Amino acid sequence: MGRYVVRRLGQMVVVLLGATMILFACLFVIPGDPVGSLAGSDKARDPAVIAQLHQRYGLDDPLAVQYGNYIKRLVQGDMGEDFTQRRPVSEILAPKLVNTAKLAVVAIVFDMVIGMLVGVVAALRRYSLLDTVVTLATTIVVGFPTFVIGMLLLNTFAVQLKWVPVIGDPGDPKQIILPALTLALVDAALVARLTRGTMLEILRADYVKTAVAKGVPRRQVLLKHVLRNSVIPVITYIGISFGTLLGGALITEVIFNWDGVGMAMNTAVQQQNNPIIIGVATWGVLIFVLLNLLVDLLYAVLDPRIRLG
Amino acid sequence: MRLTKAMRWAAVAATAALAVTACSNSGSSDFGSKSPSQSSQGAGGPAKDGGTFKLGISEPTAIDPYNAQESEGILVTHNLFTGLIDVKADGTVVPKLALSRTPNSDCSEWTFKLKTGTTFTNGEPVDAEAFIRGWTRTASKASASDVAYHMAEIDGFDDLQSGKATTFKGLSAPSADTLVVKLAQKDCEFDLRTFHTAFSPVPKVAGAADNKTYNDMPIGNGPFKMDGPWQHNTKITLVRNADYGLDKAHLDKVEISILNADNGVTLEYQGYQAGQFDWARMPVPQYSAAKAMYEPKGQWLQWDSNGMNYILPMTKKGPLTSKEARLAISYAIDRKAITAGVFKGFFTAADSLVPPAFPSAYQKGVCASCVAQDKAKAKELADKAGLKPGTELYFGYNTGAGHEEWVQAVAGQLKDVLGLKVKLDGIPFKELLDKETSPDSTGIYRAAWGADYPTPGNFLTPLLSTSSINENPDSHVVQGDNRGRWSNPEFDKLTSQAASTQDQGERYKLYQQAEKVAMDDQALIPLWNRTQLRLANTSKWNNLTYDFNENPTLSAVSAK
Repeated sequence: MGRYVVRRLGQMVVVLLGATMILFACLFVIPGDPVGSLAGSDKARDPAVIAQLHQRYGLDDPLAVQYGNYIKRLVQGDMGEDFTQRRPVSEILAPKLVNTAKLAVVAIVFDMVIGMLVGVVAALRRYSLLDTVVTLATTIVVGFPTFVIGMLLLNTFAVQLKWVPVIGDPGDPKQIILPALTLALVDAALVARLTRGTMLEILRADYVKTAVAKGVPRRQVLLKHVLRNSVIPVITYIGISFGTLLGGALITEVIFNWDGVGMAMNTAVQQQNNPIIIGVATWGVLIFVLLNLLVDLLYAVLDPRIRLG
Repeated sequence: MRLTKAMRWAAVAATAALAVTACSNSGSSDFGSKSPSQSSQGAGGPAKDGGTFKLGISEPTAIDPYNAQESEGILVTHNLFTGLIDVKADGTVVPKLALSRTPNSDCSEWTFKLKTGTTFTNGEPVDAEAFIRGWTRTASKASASDVAYHMAEIDGFDDLQSGKATTFKGLSAPSADTLVVKLAQKDCEFDLRTFHTAFSPVPKVAGAADNKTYNDMPIGNGPFKMDGPWQHNTKITLVRNADYGLDKAHLDKVEISILNADNGVTLEYQGYQAGQFDWARMPVPQYSAAKAMYEPKGQWLQWDSNGMNYILPMTKKGPLTSKEARLAISYAIDRKAITAGVFKGFFTAADSLVPPAFPSAYQKGVCASCVAQDKAKAKELADKAGLKPGTELYFGYNTGAGHEEWVQAVAGQLKDVLGLKVKLDGIPFKELLDKETSPDSTGIYRAAWGADYPTPGNFLTPLLSTSSINENPDSHVVQGDNRGRWSNPEFDKLTSQAASTQDQGERYKLYQQAEKVAMDDQALIPLWNRTQLRLANTSKWNNLTYDFNENPTLSAVSAK
């Protein structure tokens, strides 16, 4: 187990290097001078200033040199300075990572609670009216794009009913409800269907029949045998989903003006603010790889038959 | 694990699809109009102090005067700092700290007499030295300021920019209340330039331009001061400067929420609808609904501001090297059909290069080919220019700013009237800029210009003078704003003569002649004026209207 983790972490370094290198190369070949025009306007920069910025950011160096310098600084924890505001990238991204993490955690909690509850109830009441409603509702919700859900929620609860402000105080806990719900809804629908499906399968499994035949109380059968086993695919899904959320929920963040990494990435791409793009992407890769590892470790905990090595 | 992979791909695909949808929706807001509407003015009686005014902007590049540049940044900086002059929306100059502004006989030297006794909010005096300090800070090499070029005509600027000097040779302060500016290039309108926030005075604590503390919480001498540092991407709060040396503001507080650029216009509108904001832009598809809702309440502002949307023809290479060819293009475009159709009547077709927003310089119909579409004339001129049907015409525009629809309409008209094979090319702005400035560029490009200070010269000289081509001697790339490389000795003579003419009436006459020369040669192809639309909560605030920078007049607003 220990060796497995070390090996996976080692692989992670390779993945990180590869990902940043590909990204660096991509950004390098994009036509247009990244510091050629002013942010937020159609005006070209003064040639003297362009020359100074090229020097400052080493933009005239060959790709390999630029990449080498970047990695050298990255290892020391320095992610460079952004092109528009000229502030340290780490200082810009730090609060955004916190915001994105907050949103992701709350969304995942909504997601799990709603999704699993609905799924379990639907499975236990199979083919009942409730089950049909759940199947129908989840099908519809899954079909909705995030931005539609987001805009509906914002328009209804912020613009019309005014239960929450459109743009609230960043410290106000109320502000997180709508974006988290937006993120959670589609996912919760998927989780509900996943939970229902696996539960139904496991309810028919031999070991469940055996347990019932042995006279184990229904409650215990459901909790110890059925639920625990049906949680495995859900955990896989949630793990991946959480990783994606931590990488920034672009659409939702933009709609609700949630100052997270998704929004940062979006703006950075439009401004060709390369240091931010690489910073966010590096973070995304890191989180994704780490969470995958975590999910794999969780399998072993949940299912003793799974051995990692 | 099979499940995992499938899910992962599904998630990636979904995100990508949504990202595409969301991005294509980001409309530009710098569009729209019919007639400049009257803004509601104060209802008489002394203005009350108090109240918190709320609005949303997108994250500025900087609020420190050394690099404040887009209208959002300027909004904040302009309320934190007071310079020599202010300018009203119609271009009228209002003196601020300058009691007098006097050029010498050939406008190569300016003397500003300053109001004495005013201070920065930290108590430091605002004197001539404070101006010199601020201007030097903006122009220094280490600052790499995007707005320093406004000072380019001051003596000693080049040495500061290149790092050869650390002091501004052309600036001097014979006494605390006298600022003398020597120009390397004569300019009888130099005082107008000082309206830009780059020319703000700064206190000693400002330090160099890389002073992060000051960048985020500038200490100024304006009607408002910062209430705590700039909370990036979240909020900027201003409070009234109780010790302001000029007419004090009435608002207690201004709360500026920072919205993301992509969805900001929608959020402003939603915030306004929810009663959260007092000032807002709105998304283009909502114009009609918003107007129907808010115009009867007197909360609708619509005006043509100091800018112009136009087509930039490449005059040195390609099919548009001749005047006739450019005129043919202009005659072939039906501007009124597009403003009525694509822009639903929220735009006004242009018939000049210097927009009607400069009433004292505007020449109605100076662009003869703009006034009405003339298919016969267009064909005749095209024939003369050898612009045969089937000729390929490159048409470049930047994506992500809502230009697609009208660009296609123009291309369609050129195809219908002249039979041209228009090659539309939508690319990101930075890439477009690369193509546009290249020595090989041909055809036409979408372009727009907004004035930085109230003079017709700010349209004509940067966009069309020969010196504004500023070709790089090695790469032959255009480095100035004259990217069509149009060059005309008569135009150059008239504009430089205008710049060194003291009398404004005479000066404007020269500018008007220059504009006529450029339009007769169709150096640029004007399309429509820069129309601005805002919602303003006039039921709550007196004196709420727009300023030259298209921002609310915060320093004059008072609660009802």
